[in-house]
Amino acid sequence: MAYLKFELSAFSLMNLPTREQSGVLIVSVSGRVDHLASEEFSLAIEPILQNCRQGALPVLLDFSGVEYISSAGLRVLMLASRRAKAERGVFAVAALQPLVQEVFAISRFNLIMPCYVSIEAACKVLGS
Amino acid sequence: MSKAGALALFRSGGGRGLPLILLAAALLALFHIEATPLANLRAVHFDRYQQQMPRNREDEPVIVVGIDSQSLAMHGQWPWSRDLIAGLVRHVLAGKPLAVGVDIVFAEKDRHSPEILAERLPAIPRSALLALPDPDRTLASALDSGPTALAIVGLDNVLPGSKQPSRPLPIFGVADDLERALPSFPSALASRDMLETAASGEGLINASPDRYRSNAEGGVLRRVPSIGLVEHQPFLSLPLEMVRLALGGDAVVVAEPSSQGMQAIRIGDYRLPTQPNGELLLHFGRASSNYYLSAADVLAGVHPPEMFASRFVIIGFNSTGLQDRIITPLGESLPGIDIHAQVIESLLSGIALQRPFWMATLELVVLALVGLLLIAGTPVVRPSLAIAGFMAFATLIVGAGYWAFHLGRWLFDGLSIALLLVPVFASLIVNRLVAADAERRRTREQLRVSREDTARVEGELNAARRIQMGLLPDPAALFASEKRFEVAALLESARAVGGDFYDCQMLDERRLCLAVGDVSGKGVPASLFMAIAKTLTGTATRRESDLAQAMREIETELARENPEGLFVTAFVAVIDVDSGVMTYACAGHDAPVLVRAGSCLRIDTASIGGPPLCALGDYPYAVASLQLEPGDLLCLFTDGLTEASDGRSQLGERGLGAVLGKAAANNLQALAEQLRDQVRHFEAGIPPADDLTLLLFRWRGTINAS
Repeated sequence: MAYLKFELSAFSLMNLPTREQSGVLIVSVSGRVDHLASEEFSLAIEPILQNCRQGALPVLLDFSGVEYISSAGLRVLMLASRRAKAERGVFAVAALQPLVQEVFAISRFNLIMPCYVSIEAACKVLGS
Repeated sequence: MSKAGALALFRSGGGRGLPLILLAAALLALFHIEATPLANLRAVHFDRYQQQMPRNREDEPVIVVGIDSQSLAMHGQWPWSRDLIAGLVRHVLAGKPLAVGVDIVFAEKDRHSPEILAERLPAIPRSALLALPDPDRTLASALDSGPTALAIVGLDNVLPGSKQPSRPLPIFGVADDLERALPSFPSALASRDMLETAASGEGLINASPDRYRSNAEGGVLRRVPSIGLVEHQPFLSLPLEMVRLALGGDAVVVAEPSSQGMQAIRIGDYRLPTQPNGELLLHFGRASSNYYLSAADVLAGVHPPEMFASRFVIIGFNSTGLQDRIITPLGESLPGIDIHAQVIESLLSGIALQRPFWMATLELVVLALVGLLLIAGTPVVRPSLAIAGFMAFATLIVGAGYWAFHLGRWLFDGLSIALLLVPVFASLIVNRLVAADAERRRTREQLRVSREDTARVEGELNAARRIQMGLLPDPAALFASEKRFEVAALLESARAVGGDFYDCQMLDERRLCLAVGDVSGKGVPASLFMAIAKTLTGTATRRESDLAQAMREIETELARENPEGLFVTAFVAVIDVDSGVMTYACAGHDAPVLVRAGSCLRIDTASIGGPPLCALGDYPYAVASLQLEPGDLLCLFTDGLTEASDGRSQLGERGLGAVLGKAAANNLQALAEQLRDQVRHFEAGIPPADDLTLLLFRWRGTINAS
């Protein structure tokens, strides 16, 4: 497993371990993506987004470790998804915990970005 | 000088300008110390060394035979006839002393010489008188019978009766440059030729009390000459001449030269360090009367002659009225002849105080180094440490003086150095304290400004909060006379301003619009977007009878200027309050709860719900409708309610249902407050993470339609 460590701002403690599986770049996100953490999340995901474009590996966020996501966290996802779309890249999320799944359901985020039940399911669709 | 000017001087050179100037002044003062009051202080300080550590006087190699009051009472007024002095000398010489010094100048003929008597007593035959023994001759004969030294007094001017003494040092080479450094007299007061010839040698008895004496009593004698020149002829001081005679008269006398003049006097194997001008800095011992004998007792033969064997004997005055008294650094008032005794003792033990020419240079270097160290160090260490350090330095320097004196009778003036450092250090520490005070003031000022800023921001936030709350309608006032339904609302921001909003307004006579929204994020950014979203919701629903179309319009307008990518979740319902038909649209918002006949239902938004407004920008929102029954209670809320946390878990929908089921109040506003209280109770003191909004609606049914 390769860890990409990013030079983030001093307060940032969020690391996003990445791995490649079946031609998909899988980014593991964990913890509470609340109002405060969303800023770190936004900074941490920035370098990944820079490589999310047409022809590059599809990016899949592994949300199995995410316990909670606030509207600020959703906004980071929305902006990221919007950027990926502009570059014709693929940006998706998978393996939502029930509480997060409920938030996604209420806010209809499945309409904003592709959501998959599991990593395997996602890889089947996205992988090469 | 103005206060600002003084401060500028203090602060110049990083607060080191003034101390450097003061250090330079201190160095100048130390260099020219003789011109400052410090010279007296230094002399007293050096005296203190001697008082603490006086010279040990265990041996008593010198006996003083004093012509004291008892002698005068017994043998009559001074001057005595010289045959009496001769008797005294003979008594002493009978004991075979090492040398005898006579601290008296016999310059004129004795009053009892036959010639003078013949002139004064013409009645007596001159031949008879001339047959009498001549007292001068008697004294000369006595002096001739042993090693004796007579006194001479160097004179600055040629006086009547003064002459060139005839017994200079037999073997002594004086270099020209050294000669200039030594005390030199054009003439002297000496004894009659006959006596000079009879004696073995002559010695100077000039004393040199310190300069600043106001009178003979006040002057402290610290230094005595060792050697002087009378008309270029060298003469030792009387006590040193006595030692020379004791050594056999052919002992070599050497004045050791240094670059500044003279550094020591050597007589035979004895040596004493001197000042460049040949003066001895005497190390005084405590006086005692043990070695003082009365001339009367000696003449009467009270003491056995053996007493004088192998001793130095000084004959001189020790009587009130005749003697010259001096004050020693030990604070003792002694007859002048005691100094001769102390000089002999000093030479025999080789002990004199040492202050070579380089000592002044050493003091300057120490002052400069310690001063620079203070100037370098004080501004960068804590003031308490700086003060402790200075005290340590001062103690060390003064202590070094005592230590040097103890070690080798060196005279090192630590006190003046320490005193001269005081102004330097004081200016440094004052500057330090001034700077600290300024820093404290600055900090206080910054704190005040920051408090004012905070207060201003708070004030502005409060104003913003009032304006934001003012945007929200008051249902109690709006629908005060309404019979068909009740509405109650409650909005509490987690911060001063928030991103939640609600709306309730009559679109026309029958249609009531209810809306709840939640902008992503919190605080001021969310609140600005909230104001737009709330306003747009109001206008779009009023203008557009089709709710789905109104939703699309809202999204289009909001998305038009949204560089920050904010979005809004919203639930909007239009209710025909006559028929009870509710049309609703949902943009990513929590589905409202419908309390019907005591049970809680969720409004079905699954089929028509869309993403939050602005998330996609062009989502075709759809609407659904349902038929309300009389007594139905509709509860619109934001996630501040369901996501309220007690630190471990969230209240959730089930919690909301429980809370709603328990709520008993009939009055909607009271119910809303009860719900809010129960949420806060659940949170158990944890500050709310999100804004909380509640909008309650109860439909009473088609009462007035009938």
